[in-house]
Amino acid sequence: MMSSQQFDDFERELTLQELLRGVDVRRLLGALENLLLAPVSIVDENETPVFEDGPTTPSAPKVPLIGELEPLGYLAAEAEPRLLQAAADVVALLLRANARYLIASDLHLKTQRDDFEELQRRHAALEVSEQRYKTLAKTLEQRVREQVKTIEKAQIRLYENEKLASVGRLAAGIAHEINNPIGFIRSNLNTISSYLESLKKIGAVVESGASTQAIQAAWKEEDMAFLQQDLREILDESISGTSRIAGIVKDLKGFSRVDQAAYESTDINDIIRQVCHVAAAEVDGKAEIGLDLGDLPSLHCQPGQLGQVFLALLLNAADAMTARGKILIRSRLDDNRIRVDVRDNGCGIAESALSHVFEPFFTTKEVGKGIGLGLTVCRDIVESHGGTLDIKSRSGKGTLVTLCLPFKAGGRA
Amino acid sequence: MAIYEEERNRLTIKLVYYGPAQSGKTTNLMRLHDFLGTDLKGDIMMMETANDRTLFFDLLPLGFKAPSGLAIKFKLYTVPGQVVHDSTRKAVLSRADGVVFVADSQRTQAINNGESFANLEANTHRVGIDFDTLPLVVQFNKRDLADILSEEEVLQRYRGAPWPLYFSSAIDGRGVVETFKALLQQVYDALNDEFAFEQNHGLAGDEFVRQATGTISCGGAE
Repeated sequence: MMSSQQFDDFERELTLQELLRGVDVRRLLGALENLLLAPVSIVDENETPVFEDGPTTPSAPKVPLIGELEPLGYLAAEAEPRLLQAAADVVALLLRANARYLIASDLHLKTQRDDFEELQRRHAALEVSEQRYKTLAKTLEQRVREQVKTIEKAQIRLYENEKLASVGRLAAGIAHEINNPIGFIRSNLNTISSYLESLKKIGAVVESGASTQAIQAAWKEEDMAFLQQDLREILDESISGTSRIAGIVKDLKGFSRVDQAAYESTDINDIIRQVCHVAAAEVDGKAEIGLDLGDLPSLHCQPGQLGQVFLALLLNAADAMTARGKILIRSRLDDNRIRVDVRDNGCGIAESALSHVFEPFFTTKEVGKGIGLGLTVCRDIVESHGGTLDIKSRSGKGTLVTLCLPFKAGGRA
Repeated sequence: MAIYEEERNRLTIKLVYYGPAQSGKTTNLMRLHDFLGTDLKGDIMMMETANDRTLFFDLLPLGFKAPSGLAIKFKLYTVPGQVVHDSTRKAVLSRADGVVFVADSQRTQAINNGESFANLEANTHRVGIDFDTLPLVVQFNKRDLADILSEEEVLQRYRGAPWPLYFSSAIDGRGVVETFKALLQQVYDALNDEFAFEQNHGLAGDEFVRQATGTISCGGAE
């Protein structure tokens, strides 16, 4: 069952009692009585007097007090109808003024309450988010530290990898260099195995106590004269093959300790030669290497690390070739400094890129071809020896990398 | 949401005049009060500030009795158009059975119209009214002014919109009653499912509109 109480506050039907609230009814009735010159009463829809102490006029004529559309109650008095109606109009005006006030205040209260609830909802939501931010702020520093650590680790790993990257590039060429002699040594050993069969046959003839003639016949049969000569040749060839492998391994040894910071007294020219040998397979197709090495004193240095530098510079130079070109490596002792120039006539470096070449992760190479740490690593190594690494380049003409190492300072050690 | 009170056998229907500030909502109500001859017609209760801007709302009550004895009461409200009174607009809009959107035809008011219409749509959602099924009539008011959008322009802009479109000049009463009648027809259709006016109360749609507006006194009918 619906009732008027279910209306929104400000829309509810106001009763006569509500509309007279705050009105001094005794005074109102007194005033009306003085005007109408008769006892006056106000009754509600059900004819119940709204003012208990007031006079009752059950038989008196009454006129309705209209609210919005319908009578809210009646005004009753033994009075002239015209005067009674006028009095009812005055009361109705009073009721309307009160209604206006009540509706406005109810609506005001409702909107205030709604706004307040909305504010509280927002406040609660803000508190939740503030709490989240507080928690975040507490852990933020820690999380940033962890992230930084992770990034640093990754960078160090990349940096270390870069030190080995150029060596890795050589692996295929070096494998080929080693495989080649191994191939012909294996073939030679197979031949020697077949020669052993011939020796067995002659041996069997000798052991059977056959005549010298028969032995000589067998000797000839197995063509021992050729066999001896050939054996000499294939053994020499195999020995030289193993020497070649030994040489390669010796050169590689220079790079086998790239991560060891051992200082040794070394001739820089030896390092350069080693690097050229090791890189030969990789570079040969792209450029001709020219060496112009002056006499140098032994330098107290980290040969493995410096080998890395020369290898990286040599490979960079080879990479710069658009057609088969020339790479010249020149070393000199120059005013107590060992100076090595690596010059190529490749594509050169654009002016805009030149100032960035030592920056970590700067690269002009295709994705996958380089991560932009090569020259960074080189310069770090050279600087750890107290030296300098400089690059001059003209786009389209070529590049000159100059490495200077102080001779007397003897590196960091 | 119309409210039926069994003990009084009375149905109360709430209609709201919505729109941007000073588009003529209160004037619409004043003209209806002047022209309508509904059996029961109350006084307009106006709650305006000193400079004639509506502060809370205006209210015009109307009513008639259906042949069945059912009392049908209309409460016509206006909302305050000024942007700051949004809480009041929301409170007045809640439980509305139908809306007249009073737009200002002046070219300079196009943006205000659009914002107010968007606000109407947003507030219907907030107070739990389904905007798509809400009876709604759009009235382009102030046709008497210069520099207004032409009827062709308005029709062009509202082409494809589902709401009936009316042109009015509330200040001299033109189009006000027509707008109201159009809304009454829609409200009748929307409430008929629930209240079965014709079956249970002997009240057909055109009779509902005729009774609700009574004998039009002048001006409004043209």
